[in-house]
Amino acid sequence: MNNNPADVRHPRGPRPVWGMKLLVLLVLLVMFAASGCGATPPAWFRLNMVEATKQKLTPEQERQVATVISAMFGTPDNPVALPETGLDEAKLRLAAGPVRSDIVGRKNGLYREHCAHCHGVTGDALGPTAAFLNPYPRDYRPGIFKFKSTERADKPTHADLTRVLKKGIPGTSMPSFALLSETQIDALVEYVKYLSIRGETEIGLIRAIFELDEEAEGKLPETREFLVGERLAEVVEKWKAADTALIDVPEMPADIDLVESIAKGRELFYGDKANCVKCHGPTALGDGQANDYDDWNKYVVEWTSKEVNGDADKQWVNRAHRVLDGDTLEPRTIQPRNLRRGIYRGGRRPLDLYYRIHAGINGAPMPGAKGTVPPEDIWHIVNYVQSLPYELDGELGADRPMVARDRF
Amino acid sequence: MASAPIGSPSTVRSTVNGPAIVAWILVATTALLLSFGALVTTYDAAMAVPDWPATFGHNMFLYPLGEWFWGPWDLFLEHGHRLLGATVGMLSLLLAAILFRRPASPALRWLVIAAMVLVVVQGALGGLRVILDDKTVAKVHACTGPLFFAVATAIAVLAGRRGRGDSSGPATDRSDAVGRDSFVAVGPLTLSLPSWAVGASLPTALAVAAYLQLVAGAQLRHADATLAASTFRWMVAIHLAGAAVVTVLAALTVIAWQPHESRTARRWSLAILAMVGGQLLLGGGAWLFTWGLPAWLQEAWAPAEAILARSPRGAAVITGHVILGMMILGAAVVLALEWGGAERLEQIARTGIRGGGRRLHGPQARLVPGAVTVRPRSERGAR
Repeated sequence: MNNNPADVRHPRGPRPVWGMKLLVLLVLLVMFAASGCGATPPAWFRLNMVEATKQKLTPEQERQVATVISAMFGTPDNPVALPETGLDEAKLRLAAGPVRSDIVGRKNGLYREHCAHCHGVTGDALGPTAAFLNPYPRDYRPGIFKFKSTERADKPTHADLTRVLKKGIPGTSMPSFALLSETQIDALVEYVKYLSIRGETEIGLIRAIFELDEEAEGKLPETREFLVGERLAEVVEKWKAADTALIDVPEMPADIDLVESIAKGRELFYGDKANCVKCHGPTALGDGQANDYDDWNKYVVEWTSKEVNGDADKQWVNRAHRVLDGDTLEPRTIQPRNLRRGIYRGGRRPLDLYYRIHAGINGAPMPGAKGTVPPEDIWHIVNYVQSLPYELDGELGADRPMVARDRF
Repeated sequence: MASAPIGSPSTVRSTVNGPAIVAWILVATTALLLSFGALVTTYDAAMAVPDWPATFGHNMFLYPLGEWFWGPWDLFLEHGHRLLGATVGMLSLLLAAILFRRPASPALRWLVIAAMVLVVVQGALGGLRVILDDKTVAKVHACTGPLFFAVATAIAVLAGRRGRGDSSGPATDRSDAVGRDSFVAVGPLTLSLPSWAVGASLPTALAVAAYLQLVAGAQLRHADATLAASTFRWMVAIHLAGAAVVTVLAALTVIAWQPHESRTARRWSLAILAMVGGQLLLGGGAWLFTWGLPAWLQEAWAPAEAILARSPRGAAVITGHVILGMMILGAAVVLALEWGGAERLEQIARTGIRGGGRRLHGPQARLVPGAVTVRPRSERGAR
């Protein structure tokens, strides 16, 4: 029996140094870190698969649309702005592509840096983080924008989009980019318009295939007259018209007392004409009708329930479900706004509220009061809505907590 | 019976321990380097300088200081990251040169070799990330950084211990703790811990888990914009699950280390738990600044103003989350190596010497030869 502790410690001879074990562990960790890696492929625009599947395009037709749209608009790294679009290609190039500075202090790839992780490279609201946001980020492709100074069906102006970028959208994940320079914001707005025009043109082309006559043999005519003169022009015209489609806002009645105005607004709020109470609820806490969807979600819900689930072609149904899984997010109902919180997504200026009440919110169930409420009276609703966060003993009684607590 | 070389003047010479000082300077510089790296990612400034190893055509070291320091923020971060990287590379070389000229344990030598390999690989990865403008390389680069930091910390701990004499670690005579269950009283509860939980196992597991969290976090921060939302959701879930694992391990470490003789070790384990708590808060803050409030919180509280993108406060929280994660990793490495006992027991076994219950320095260190017998692993396991 050997009593030497060292011998007892190493009954099978010298132990391998644990440094070697550590090195093996390091190598394993590096391998783990590098596992599943491959060079990052260049960014690409995703085809609007929901629309393509909905219109039952064949793979050849999908390829044709992708090729044509790529020829018209370029790629995420090399955008093309045809003169007919009215877009400034220099601005697009500042916003497009990977993030890099080839000149000291001038950063390209602004969209990829600030927007693409939520809105997606294609502007399809399918960026990696999109599922975590509530509401979901905006899908630019249908060309529908909520917060603007134009009539409901019209496009937003350049200034409207600029304002959204600068102020952000309170109560959502859309941040304010006020720390970016004017040039950078301008480039981003241009790029958002570019993605929207591109997306809407793509939808137009996909639907055009559905409308083709038999002579076309299922192929789009690849002529400039058709692609640019008809399909692109149809979309671009609406954007060009935006600057002349501003809502005509009357002066706020100067001769009326504010208390009186609020009382009038309240009357309209609960009345049949404006009928705000239907969705915003009798308490204005947003507890009225809450089983509706916005247009983006409704599109998915209706397609799923009315067409996909009722179709006899099982093969197509399976394909449609694969597209729904990969190219859409779980539909969510839209919550009518709680007007007692003092959070106004489209801006807190009285003018912003006027626009929302007058034109409604495009893409949302919120209807416009235009035509049902006289323009001057809309100001009374604005005043009433603005008073709601501060109303302490209204309909709800004295035991209602002070909702203005949210204003910090 | 082994002789007692430890007390000889050749190994215990003075209280100034050059390699340890250089090693700790390396750790501090690496922490600064990684902080710059984290800021580079936060501000997406990796391509603020499009060429490498040159900076806008200049030799990296000759780029005008004023243009760098007073120039655009992105350039300041990226070029600063490069300068710090070069400094860390040179410090690693210096440390290796010093340590290989002196007697050192095989473990220390292997660690220095690992550090040299890692620092070269990391520099090359940084260069490739720029030259190829590739996010995959960026991800690997972000994973290798904390690994180097952990290795540098381990070197500093071992070099520091060596300077105090091979067997005279801090007041951590763990020989009687090994092979015996520990009992921890927490209020009315008494927890019985197996003997393995008392040693370096838990801090080592914590260090590995903290590192894997940094790896998972790096995947989130460098996620490509073309990544599918469903994939990203899984990645976030993994990171959140990892946070739970790290928290549990940190809490278990605190419980397991309460019987430890060294008050510093006990406090160190508590400090790690506190850091993990802070890390959870920073993680929540990073979520808030990146995506806003989750839906279930929106009704309870929402600010009337939108979040400000790229705000200094948001960048500090998001970057702080990365830096604190790295600190947790380093702290766990220190706990495992300084007080974990494995190395120390090995030395005791080799030399048959154990130190006293206090820190020993210099030739006046009193060593007691042949005072301990360490049971073989198999025997310990049987108990």
